[in-house]
Amino acid sequence: MYSLKQKRNYYTQRQILGIVFIIPTVVFLLVFVAYPVLYNIFLSFTDARLLKQNFSFVAFDNYKKLFTNPRFFKYVKNTLVWTFSSVVGQLTLGFAFALLINKKSAGTGLRSFLLIPYVVPAVAIALVTKWVMNGDYGIVSWWLNRMNIIEYRQSPLALPGSAMATLIIVNVWRSYPFPMLIYWATLKSIDIELYEAAHVDGANAFQTFVHITLPHVKDATIVLAILRIVWTATYFDLIWFITGGGPAGSTTHLPIMIYQASFGTFQLGYASSISMVLGLSLFVCVAFYVKKSVANER
Amino acid sequence: MKQKTLTRISKNFWFYILVLCTIAFVGFPLFWMALSSLKPSVELFKMPPKILPKAPTFEWYTTTFSNAIVVRYFFNSFLIAFSTMLVDVVLATLGAYSLARFKYRGRRFIMMAVLSAYCLPPIMLMIPLYRIIAGMGLNSSYLGVIIGHTTFTFPFCVWLLIPFFRKVPKELEEAALVDGTPSLKIFTAIILPLCVPGILSTGIMAFILSWNEYLLSSVLIISDTMKTLTVGLANYISSVQIDWGEIMALGTATTLPIIIMFSAIQKYFVEGLTAGAVKG
Repeated sequence: MYSLKQKRNYYTQRQILGIVFIIPTVVFLLVFVAYPVLYNIFLSFTDARLLKQNFSFVAFDNYKKLFTNPRFFKYVKNTLVWTFSSVVGQLTLGFAFALLINKKSAGTGLRSFLLIPYVVPAVAIALVTKWVMNGDYGIVSWWLNRMNIIEYRQSPLALPGSAMATLIIVNVWRSYPFPMLIYWATLKSIDIELYEAAHVDGANAFQTFVHITLPHVKDATIVLAILRIVWTATYFDLIWFITGGGPAGSTTHLPIMIYQASFGTFQLGYASSISMVLGLSLFVCVAFYVKKSVANER
Repeated sequence: MKQKTLTRISKNFWFYILVLCTIAFVGFPLFWMALSSLKPSVELFKMPPKILPKAPTFEWYTTTFSNAIVVRYFFNSFLIAFSTMLVDVVLATLGAYSLARFKYRGRRFIMMAVLSAYCLPPIMLMIPLYRIIAGMGLNSSYLGVIIGHTTFTFPFCVWLLIPFFRKVPKELEEAALVDGTPSLKIFTAIILPLCVPGILSTGIMAFILSWNEYLLSSVLIISDTMKTLTVGLANYISSVQIDWGEIMALGTATTLPIIIMFSAIQKYFVEGLTAGAVKG
């Protein structure tokens, strides 16, 4: 029907379209992602300040200042506690809810409902948290007092230990939907015949769970843990809204430290060095995740 | 018939109890916010608190929305989220189609770049973006915030859209190609119409992310009239004297449209996200 030349024409025309379509993406990533990242590296070696245009090169001074700051290590510890507990909590809850919505008796309505926290603005969650934990009028403070956990007219947010614990619980509440979805999709992909065969062989529910379900969600767990570690360790909003890093720095993690250094005390260069340290520690996670995700691309 | 339902419920008794507990746990903060916004002062500050308002009132909503700046916050948030959505949808549709259906050198690398950008949190971009956008003279302008929001919503949109384009049967494209249809026309006349649900739901997700964003908006906007809802609300909750009734009303008004929008598209969102994730 068509000559070879025409065919080749179509082919080149198609190739050109593919390249043209990707150009905006590439340009955007270069200008607004790659360049800022490089610029951040550069800034971390300068004494740049927020409201001053000119700055000078100070080599590793910012890093030296950071690593000799005893508070930095306290905040690193806070970051680790916050990240580790939140990730374990949200993966566990997400998995439990995934098992629940994977049941035949659970309708799609339940799944839709359980997804809602994924889109609730952090600021709204923060204001409810502050309201229910209010020392004078908060319903949760009141319950906790009735259960003899806290004193009368006290807010759990006012004490260092319970403030962090509260933040972690709230964060688990808002971030379980993503793990839940991924676990649910993984559970659905398990071959039903495996369970039937196990049932025929006389395995009980617990045995099938341990020997069929758990091994199948192992990969998903690794990927989820990596992704959530990156997002939780860098998640700023919730802590900032609810405690602002207090009381007495007990809930300050590295993102709050970056914010305070840059937009609190205007030391942009110093703040950039903190974000470099945070970024480099998470880089391994990102690289692993990206490699794993693009691995089966031809 | 009734007997049957009863036996079904009793058979699954523990399951339903579990579901009820789950709903209570997940719904409590949201229900509590909405219920508090309907309680008059007397009930709001009563100890111990009652769950349901005895004399529900809309007074907090009327006082909040009679404040011109609050209306302005809504307008700002809407304008910024809507524009971010448009930019994302146009650019990400082109990019995702190209990544999903074409083969060229560097494609894998670009995919890795998109995914890395998706993992890059706003806190890492805050400082350099602030300087770049301020350097362009765009701080405290809508365009500056829209650029800021695009940096993290755009990679997400590309990643979410790829599976939708992949799902379109290759044969459809090949048949049209054999018929001599120009490639651009194949895209606009065949591919795009099939991907409308995916594109629409991705756009709405971008809208939601932008609407909820706080960090970049807070550093890129200085003047009060340009502030978004999240920035305005955050200022209210950090003030010493908090007007709880009004803030619950404003919080509910900020959250409700988002939940409604998300409920409308969540079926497609789940499809796109799980398709991308299972692969990974």
